[in-house]
Amino acid sequence: MSDDIRDKVMLMIEKRGVMMRPRWHFILLSALAAAGALILIVALLYVISLAFFFLREGGMLYTPAFGGRGWFELLRSAPLLLIVLVAIFALILEILVRRYSFAYRAPLTMSLGGILLLVFVGGFVLAQTSFHRSMEFAAHRGHLPPPVGFLYGQTFRPPRPDDMHRGVIITQSTGGFVMVDADGDGTSTVELTPQTRLPYGEDFAPGDMVIVIGDPVGTDTIRAFGVRTMENRPDTQ
Amino acid sequence: MAETDEQVALAVQGGATNRFGELVERYEAKLMRYARKFLLDPEDAQDIVQDIFIKAYENLQSFDATRRFSPWIYRIAHNEFVNALKKRESRRTVFTIDFDTLFPHLQAADTADSAALERDTRETLEKHLDKLDPKYREPLILYYLESMDYREIADILHIPVSTVGVRLARARAMLQKQAKGQTMYE
Repeated sequence: MSDDIRDKVMLMIEKRGVMMRPRWHFILLSALAAAGALILIVALLYVISLAFFFLREGGMLYTPAFGGRGWFELLRSAPLLLIVLVAIFALILEILVRRYSFAYRAPLTMSLGGILLLVFVGGFVLAQTSFHRSMEFAAHRGHLPPPVGFLYGQTFRPPRPDDMHRGVIITQSTGGFVMVDADGDGTSTVELTPQTRLPYGEDFAPGDMVIVIGDPVGTDTIRAFGVRTMENRPDTQ
Repeated sequence: MAETDEQVALAVQGGATNRFGELVERYEAKLMRYARKFLLDPEDAQDIVQDIFIKAYENLQSFDATRRFSPWIYRIAHNEFVNALKKRESRRTVFTIDFDTLFPHLQAADTADSAALERDTRETLEKHLDKLDPKYREPLILYYLESMDYREIADILHIPVSTVGVRLARARAMLQKQAKGQTMYE
């Protein structure tokens, strides 16, 4: 029986044209997989940094300073579409690298977790640069190709919670301040109470951009639960 | 001194096609034993082993001769066997999502069994292997019958090394349970 297998295999190789695939075939496959993995890593970095950029621009990234309610505001304004994209890209990346020993030797949660941690840190760092601001600027002027420009539209932008307001202070008084809404919704009077959370103190002044969490009192007044300054943007000053 | 598998494979990669027969000779008995124990059906084992060698020949240029040949060909064999089981049990899923591979385990690394324990396990294995799920049957075969270490088994099954330890421990426990059950009826 042993000789039988050997003879049959050698017969198929020598007489029936079973061919050895050339080395370049495997090199090409590996190169394609590596290129695919690289593209996915770049895409993940891009999408995660875009999510951080949107959250920071919308003010949601500043709310955890207000405690539990602030964390809740951040969670409910999470950019779900971008998170779904991240999950899809990360899964495809895991499948692509799973055939390599560095990936399959680690438990799935660790290799996937490692990938996500790396791209999260990378994405956060990228979001601190002016890259997305420049891209957004170019997208609004129609200077980017449609798929990239579309990313900076409203579809992927997380909605800001109703009780969250963003604006530039124009006048300040003892009991609060008046601000111009950053989204062009007119002016609002912000009322500070002894319970208002000011994580960095009352360190704001006219001209500062602030984020306010609070409920409306009357038509144009907000009783502030928390107030803190935001990084001023050149185009909103 | 006889050439190593890796040296023969390198020669075949370099154009000495006829020397592939040497690799077939070295591995056919091992792969036939692996097939019989894993598939539990000697009928199509020979055809499947033949296919394994053909696949190995077709993909030989992907083999890195600086690494060991044995885990490489066993990996091909594992894939072929799993496909054969899937075909045979088309209505049942042979391997589903494996939670053992999801999380890290604190399982001890490759530990040598005592001679007595190993002898007992081998005896129980021969009697009750067919009663185990393929997921647990396969690491037992590779560890006890093919004398592979944890790392080699991990490379063949593409699972974490700690998962190999977990599966072997569970498989041994299952074997003991089977053996006890039989003793009670005897």
